[in-house]
Amino acid sequence: MEDFLVASDLTKSFDGTQVVASASFTVRSQEIFGLLGPNGAGKTTTIRMLSTVLDPDEGDIRIGGHSVAGESDAVRRLIGVCPQELALYPELSATDNLVFFGRMAGLPGGEAKARAAEILERVGLTDRAKDAVRKYSGGMKRRVNIAIALMSKPRLLFLDEPTVGIDPQSRNHIFDTVLALRDEGMSVLYTTHYMEEADRLCDRIGIMDAGHVIALGTPVELKTRIGNPDTTTLEEVFLSLTGRSLRD
Amino acid sequence: MTRPFLLALLEVKRFLADRGALAFSIALPILLFALMLGVFGGETSFNATAHVADLDGGDAARKLIERIEDVEGLDVRLYTEAKLDDSLGRSAVLTGFVIPVGFTAALESGTPAAIRVKRRGSGGNAGQITAAIVQGVADGFASEYELRRALAALVSNATTPEDLESQIGILLADARREPPVRVVDDETLVEQEEEEDILDRLLPGIIVMFLLFSVTLSAQTLIEERRNSTLERLLTTRLTAGELFAGKFLAGVSRGMIQTLVLLVLAFAVLRLAGPGALAQSAVLALVVAAAASAIALVIATVARTDDQATWAAVFVTMYMTVFGGTFFPIPDSGALELLSRFTLNRYAIDAYEGILAETATLGDATFEIAILGAVAVSCLIIARLLFRVSSEAK
Ligand SMILES: Nc1ncnc2c1ncn2[C@@H]1O[C@H](COP(=O)(O)OP(=O)(O)OP(=O)(O)O)[C@@H](O)[C@H]1O
Ligand SMILES: [Mg+2]
Repeated sequence: MEDFLVASDLTKSFDGTQVVASASFTVRSQEIFGLLGPNGAGKTTTIRMLSTVLDPDEGDIRIGGHSVAGESDAVRRLIGVCPQELALYPELSATDNLVFFGRMAGLPGGEAKARAAEILERVGLTDRAKDAVRKYSGGMKRRVNIAIALMSKPRLLFLDEPTVGIDPQSRNHIFDTVLALRDEGMSVLYTTHYMEEADRLCDRIGIMDAGHVIALGTPVELKTRIGNPDTTTLEEVFLSLTGRSLRD
Repeated sequence: MTRPFLLALLEVKRFLADRGALAFSIALPILLFALMLGVFGGETSFNATAHVADLDGGDAARKLIERIEDVEGLDVRLYTEAKLDDSLGRSAVLTGFVIPVGFTAALESGTPAAIRVKRRGSGGNAGQITAAIVQGVADGFASEYELRRALAALVSNATTPEDLESQIGILLADARREPPVRVVDDETLVEQEEEEDILDRLLPGIIVMFLLFSVTLSAQTLIEERRNSTLERLLTTRLTAGELFAGKFLAGVSRGMIQTLVLLVLAFAVLRLAGPGALAQSAVLALVVAAAASAIALVIATVARTDDQATWAAVFVTMYMTVFGGTFFPIPDSGALELLSRFTLNRYAIDAYEGILAETATLGDATFEIAILGAVAVSCLIIARLLFRVSSEAK
């Protein structure tokens, strides 16, 4: 399988502190790539660089053959981003949110409306589509957050901790959606702190710690590193690689 | 290039969906205006005291004082002349009336009589109204004496109808030459200044104040979007920094226009201010004011780093401009206050509105004011665009 995203030696410092240090990895076409790591490992910062929001100090990113630095407009046509925080307008309805971001992504009005209806159906929000998002439950808001990222018909979807603070029903609904999207041909970069979630969803995983990518491979490959893949959990791999000390 | 308009439309939708913002920008100005109308004039009844020194003490003087007391809302307080002068000196009284010695005798004999008015400064609003009322009462009172005297004269002098005609002619000519009782200014301690009607300025003043408040406070929206990641999300779409900037500017203009138009239409409908031509010109003026306010909001949004900074900057800018721009008191012709007022949008906006609303001027007469407001809009836009950073690096 070809690489859809290639990140080489990404480095970023804030106020002299290195937050991402020569991180290199790839995301292949039609795969779910899990980026795991303790709090403050640099996952979100990496996603912000990959999604054209933040310029890396060093390193190079290519997405779908385009350079993020030189051809950001071409890259933006290929990506959809679901930020870690809820990034939506709570006073407006789910439909209004989706249509607005769809139009910002370049869809004509009629198409944006049709697509919004289709995506809301997909994430199970059709019934409440006209209500202000402010009135939604936490799980519903998370689903709107993801739905907005799908409006641009992305080839590559960034999902930064999309399942924080929601019930098993919503969580499973999101898993099913992500798996279906991959099967339809989308590439997904997924971050999470839930190891069993990563184990279940991800085709390959990169583990980051203190800005460095310290391990890369399929879940089975990573488990094999420390023991029997059938009895070892991803959590054990994670703790053995990143240690047990608390992070900021 | 439709993206800036879509962005502005989004903000308008958010504004209309936010009951608090709507209440603040539309209900509150109406309430404040109604309150101030109640305090400064409008429907409320007039209450004042006429401060009178009766030096004559005669029959006619006493009757006149009774008549003044009979006027609704007007009380009479009696003074000796020395007391009255003292009160005027201390500004305890701003307008006093002196009925001079010989008042009754003059009236009875038909020679002109005068009540003297003593003023401190302009005499105060209430004093001016009281003086006008006293003048009216005195006129009516004098005509009665005149009539009585004239009738007596006619009855005793006229023997034929022609005689009667010529007697009446003489009397009318006399009366025209010398009104029987005049209310004359005695001493005006300070030169009287032409006082503007506060209500003429109040309406545009309040409209501009709330426009400034709501538009400059909306500067926060950009900072809020940075904080809650919608800006980040926007930056991953195809929206460029220039489009984002233009969209935010248009959003401020649209919000300001919606708010001002609602208030203006209401004011025109309820107060029957002026004709549709004046309303149309006010709307054009509102567009220029909203553009200037929106550009100022963008400067605040680009300079402020936190919501709080943006809020305080907006409040400060609005309060400064409102207070020194002539919303609540007229701007003097010179001095520090006049100088301060030059650095406000309100001064120019209110001046232009005032003429248009009173239908004494048109937009064409306000070219200077419009040019200033336009220049503020353009220069603030340039400054804001130079300072505008979309990067969320400093998140
Ligand atoms: N704009 C910024 N300015 C300064 N420091 C920043 C900024 N953004 C992130 N950091 C710092 O960079 C480090 C990495 O942050 P990042 O959000 O990328 O971590 P993360 O792996 O996503 O963590 P989490 O799992 O908690 O979301 C943290 O120490 C954070 O404090
Ligand atoms: Mg993060």
